[in-house]
Order: sequence, then structure tokens, then C-alpha cells
Amino acid sequence: MKIVVKNVINSPRCITKEDGQKIFDLINSSLKNGERTTLDFNEITQFASPFFNFAIGQLLRDISVTSLRSLLIFENLDMTGKQVIERVIENAVQYHSNSQHRDIVNEILDKKSKEFE
Amino acid sequence: MKTQKIIKIPRLNDGSNDFRKLFEIFDSVKELNENIKFDFSLCVFLRPNAVAFLGGLARYIEYNEGIVSFDWNSCLDEKVIANIRQNGFAKAFGALQEPWTGESIPYREDKVVDANGIMDYLTDGWLKHEWVHMSKRLTDAIAGKMWEIYNNAFEHSETHIGVFSCGQHFKKEENVLFSVVDFGQGIPTKIRNYVANFDPVSAQKLPADACLRWAFTRGNTTSIKEGVPRGLGLDLLKEFVQLNEGKLEVYSNEGYVRIDKDGESYQNLQGISFKGTIFHITLRCDEKYYRFIDEPNS
Repeated sequence: MKIVVKNVINSPRCITKEDGQKIFDLINSSLKNGERTTLDFNEITQFASPFFNFAIGQLLRDISVTSLRSLLIFENLDMTGKQVIERVIENAVQYHSNSQHRDIVNEILDKKSKEFE
Repeated sequence: MKTQKIIKIPRLNDGSNDFRKLFEIFDSVKELNENIKFDFSLCVFLRPNAVAFLGGLARYIEYNEGIVSFDWNSCLDEKVIANIRQNGFAKAFGALQEPWTGESIPYREDKVVDANGIMDYLTDGWLKHEWVHMSKRLTDAIAGKMWEIYNNAFEHSETHIGVFSCGQHFKKEENVLFSVVDFGQGIPTKIRNYVANFDPVSAQKLPADACLRWAFTRGNTTSIKEGVPRGLGLDLLKEFVQLNEGKLEVYSNEGYVRIDKDGESYQNLQGISFKGTIFHITLRCDEKYYRFIDEPNS
């Protein structure tokens, strides 16, 4: 399956979570079924993390990062977009592998709080 | 009938004492049940951070059913009046003269999220301006990082009145200043409320500096939509500013952040508690100063 991102979001900007969710909804099932999927970023010029958190980051809830990298192909993606995607994937791996994430956050904040008292 | 209080706007630059003056003005009007007139007779200098802040403050007062007026005739300094006419601030608050293109980044109000409007403002409104000597790739990259600020403000501040922006190009220094202000709950308050879900007793004791440091750390987020990793926007912004020797300052509640090439610092400001957040960023205007993370540091 190949998806031309600009045709789905009707914009040259991959920046909002709403547009990211549209992409996620289109590719999630096929990736879970092991189908190779291509996202074509032709004519996309602006990138931000909310889009990719929703489009890509939440994919890792259901598939491994190894599967993601072998099944999901990015075409015509410039270096700025690649940087944001790589950061999102790295962050998503951390997020999904750590079910105690919030507890750790709270522990850190609690420690800081006690230091302040 | 409400009485009218006159607020005299002082000289306002972008140092810590100037932000303190802005917060004092906010404190002096936030609980008032009076109409407010802003007087510029003492104002001989007005940075864009102050313009964005005063615009937001005026809308805040209006939201609370006060009437705000600006006494343009009280402004005796020609540069100040020219600047607030040029950047559209005067027009936004009733002056007749249309803004014009110059060294200012226009004053802008966004009551609700308008992603394309904001990105057009960033890219066409000033990043493509003749005084910004940058490639399209770089202007697009900067716009994406600036969007992270707006997204953060709209998603987390729960502002009722919107987000306010203004900036200025400084030819001699070859840089631009750009400020984004909201009058929402503030980042430390947001984090305290999040932590309160797990530990309400200690949550309210969390110092602002620790909350802000946490907010600027990769992967940390108060967003609760399960399955969607978040917490990258401020980290990406921080990385970009440091890599390109810009400067980012954030005032939120009683906390202050400064990020530049020398590192990052987080402080608690004594005697200040601003109900909102200000992002104040300094960027260089010339491509030769910039590099991307994939490029070698030459």
C-alpha cells in the first residue's frame, strides 16, 4: 500500500495531531497484518512532533520497532522530517517499553519536592 | 457603573526586571472590577514581548467584562508609536491606521487553534522576509519548531482568551526576537495538577523550577491519551535553540527557564506568580550561523 500524505491531509504541513491521526487510521491495520506500507511525503515541507506522535508513535503500541522499520517505508522525506520521525520513534520505544512511566515521573517529581522542602 | 483606572506603561525592554514590571501590571489589574485605560506617556521603549503581553492582558480584562482603552495620544515617543502602528497592535485596539511592512513581526492574536493561519504568519509573514537570509529548508524547519510553542500553549495552557505573539527584527544585531504569550494556567500548575492524580499532598509543593526542568526533558508529558507517546515539542525546541546559538527564555507561574548555547538553567523567581506562560526566543537571521543536527560542526 502506498499513501501520498499530502493527498490525505490536504496540506504541505505535517504538524497537527488531527492530521497524524488520519494517517494512523489508514496504515495501522495493514502494518499489524504485516503488509509493507509506503508513506510518500512528496511536497510536504513542514514537520512537527504532534503529527508524528499520532501517525507513527502510536503504531508501536501494536507492532515492534523492528517490524515498523521493515514494513513502513518513507519516501521523499527531507532531513528535517527524518529528524523528527527518528526522535518520535526513539521516544515511542521508550514510552511503550516502560509501563511504569508515570510512576517514575512521579517519583522524580516527589524527590525534587522533598529537596525543596 | 465601573470606575476607570489608568495604568501608565513604563519603559519595557526584555530583561528580567522588565518582565517583572509586566507581571506587576498584571497583578494590579487582574482582580479589579474597573475599566482600564493604558497610558503611554512614560513609555519610551517597548519591546515585542511587552506588546504581546499587553495585548493578551487587554483581552484578559475584556474576558472578565472590563473595558480596555489605549490612549494613543499619550504616547510621546515617536519610535514607540511608529512601532505599535507598524506591527498592527494599535490597529488591533482601535487605531485607524493600517499596519505596514517593516522591521517588526506583526502582532497576532489566536483565540483558537488555526494551524495554517499560524504557519502562514510564521513562514510568509516574517521568515521569508528580506531581512531573514535563510533557505526555504531552514525557514520551514524554524517554523516547525515555532509551531511546537503554539501547540504547547493551546494543548496545555487551557487558555480562555488565546495566544498572543509579536516580534521584531534588529538589523544591527542580525537577530529577531519573537514572543508567544498565553494567560492560561502555566506549566508548573499543569504539572502539579497532573502529579496530584497520584500524590495530591506533595503535588502542590513542587517547586516551579523542578516542574519546568521536567517539562523540558524528552518524553515527559502530562497528556493522558493512552498509547500516544508525547513530550517532544519542548525538547526539540531546546535542541534547535542550543544547536544554533539562539536563546530561549520562558516565564511560567513563578518559574523561569533560560536555554542557550551554554546550557539550560531553571529558577524560582521570588515575588512573582504569573498565571500564564511567555516564550521569548532570540534567533539569528543568517543561514551561515545555522546547522542541522545531521551536519558536521565545522
